[in-house]
Amino acid sequence: MTAVIEARGLSKSYGATRALDGVSFSVEPGRIVGLIGPNGAGKTTALKAILGLTSFSGELRVLGLDPCRERDALMREVCFIADVAVLPRWLRVRQALEFVAGVHPRFDRRVAENFLGKTDIRLGSRVRELSKGMVTQLHLALVLAIDARLLVLDEPTLGLDLLYRRSFYDTLLNDYFDKQRTILLTTHQVEEVENLLTDVIFINHGQIALSASVEDLGSRYQQLNLTSEHAAGARALQPFYEREVFGRVAMFFEGRTPAELGTFGELRTPSIADLFVAKMQRTDTR
Amino acid sequence: MSRTVADMVPGERRNGVAATVRTRAQVLLMLVRREFWEHRALWLAPLVMLGLVALCAAIGRIHLGVEESATVQGEAQRVAVLTIIQAVLAVPLYVVAMFVVSFYLLDCLYSERKDRSILFWKSLPVSDGLTVCAKLLVALVVVPLGVFVLALLAHLLCTAILGLRVLSGTVPVVFTWSTYEWLRTGWVMLLVTLLAALWYAPLAGYLLVMSAWVRRAPVLLATLPVVIGPILEWLAFGTRHFMDFINYRLNGVWWLLGVHNTRLVTKHGLYSVGTALEVLNFRAVLTSVDLWLGLMVTGALLYAAIRIRRFRDDI
Repeated sequence: MTAVIEARGLSKSYGATRALDGVSFSVEPGRIVGLIGPNGAGKTTALKAILGLTSFSGELRVLGLDPCRERDALMREVCFIADVAVLPRWLRVRQALEFVAGVHPRFDRRVAENFLGKTDIRLGSRVRELSKGMVTQLHLALVLAIDARLLVLDEPTLGLDLLYRRSFYDTLLNDYFDKQRTILLTTHQVEEVENLLTDVIFINHGQIALSASVEDLGSRYQQLNLTSEHAAGARALQPFYEREVFGRVAMFFEGRTPAELGTFGELRTPSIADLFVAKMQRTDTR
Repeated sequence: MSRTVADMVPGERRNGVAATVRTRAQVLLMLVRREFWEHRALWLAPLVMLGLVALCAAIGRIHLGVEESATVQGEAQRVAVLTIIQAVLAVPLYVVAMFVVSFYLLDCLYSERKDRSILFWKSLPVSDGLTVCAKLLVALVVVPLGVFVLALLAHLLCTAILGLRVLSGTVPVVFTWSTYEWLRTGWVMLLVTLLAALWYAPLAGYLLVMSAWVRRAPVLLATLPVVIGPILEWLAFGTRHFMDFINYRLNGVWWLLGVHNTRLVTKHGLYSVGTALEVLNFRAVLTSVDLWLGLMVTGALLYAAIRIRRFRDDI
């Protein structure tokens, strides 16, 4: 199958700031991809370019379409929840359902009503009367009912409490995701989506710091936990990041084998969150 | 919840059926309805005015500016009164609608950026062109025609109320029903409504562009140039071309129509509004170069508003 998103040399500047600096990556169908990076790294700019909301230079195809020139056609196949709660405050729940049903060829109203039936949201309520968590549930209900091929989520759970965040991702995984669909999401709460993702793209200063599938991470990156007396020997193998907590040292390596590292201490596959921190704050000279 | 991933046959579109086809007209209709959901003043304000007008008919005094008992004699005179009431009642409704529509146009593309809901609207497969066209359609066609219908209703309502007052003897018999003259007056009102909508179209386009463009205070920023401009011109050159231009764009349609030539209330008696059909110069408006230039400018402004909504990325 062809890639859902194919970006080559994607660049975008705001004045003197280069938000995206020649970024290239591709997203395959049926994947859940986390676009992860610190504030101002270019995540949102990348998503905006993918959704045809901003101009850019470089080459970008989304579902085979040019997001800038063929935006309307693209939106039939793509759904997005941008940031949190952008549903207009005056809108009634019933009107939201009716409007999307009226304009979206792939919207199934029954699915949305079904989902809403399991929440405390009443059809007659206005968005302004709902809690933040409920607004997100409403938006999720609309999105779940749209038979789209690509779902883009930009910090979908920002500002929600733990219960809403957990159920948001559970619903997404159980009731939405399948092998025909692709999800691209950005979030600060990496730990929460860690088990959800099939692929990660780290982005920093407008450039890709890492792009890999989660399965590949285990063979490419190693985390070594060891006591400080073994540190000097392990350091000779050039970890790209190390940190010390309570006298224990954690070192992060790229492309080393268990045989090389195992003698110094306890070897494990780094979590995405730890790897992210290691990659962003690398302590080696490179 | 719907079905889980497990019960889904690979390749099946979840809806079971192929995507529902929606014509452009259906989507446009939905967009128009949406505008009335968001901007409730568009229908609430004229309705409130209708209520006030009916209230006036129920308790107000009737004064025609002439000695009723002396002049309102004979069938023709009383029919004339009927039509004059019909036209006069429409005025407050139209004035209210004009105000509401102006504020609507200034707000419609601004507030969606302010509350960032534009990101939701843009997540749906509706083009910027259709969205902005729907807003202009509401301002220039839907609301004016709606107010026209409302004005007819207002008149029927008031005629019924006044009729009851006549029967109860609290007001003198000053009007007589005539379906023919009622229709003729309605026809005059409809023609004037349509011509006015065409004439004011560039103004609507200007307000839309300002709404799409400004970062804050759309009302202030839209009125500032038309206030400051003439003053600066007068200070710099001592001329008032800009002022005259604004005046012409605001009132020109009435000059061209020759509204000042209509004399419904004279010392010889009253004339029904239908007589204006022979007096008003509809042809002069329709053949006016300025009307068509204005429509071309409207097209350009509409295009600009669509482009601005499509390509600004500071949301």
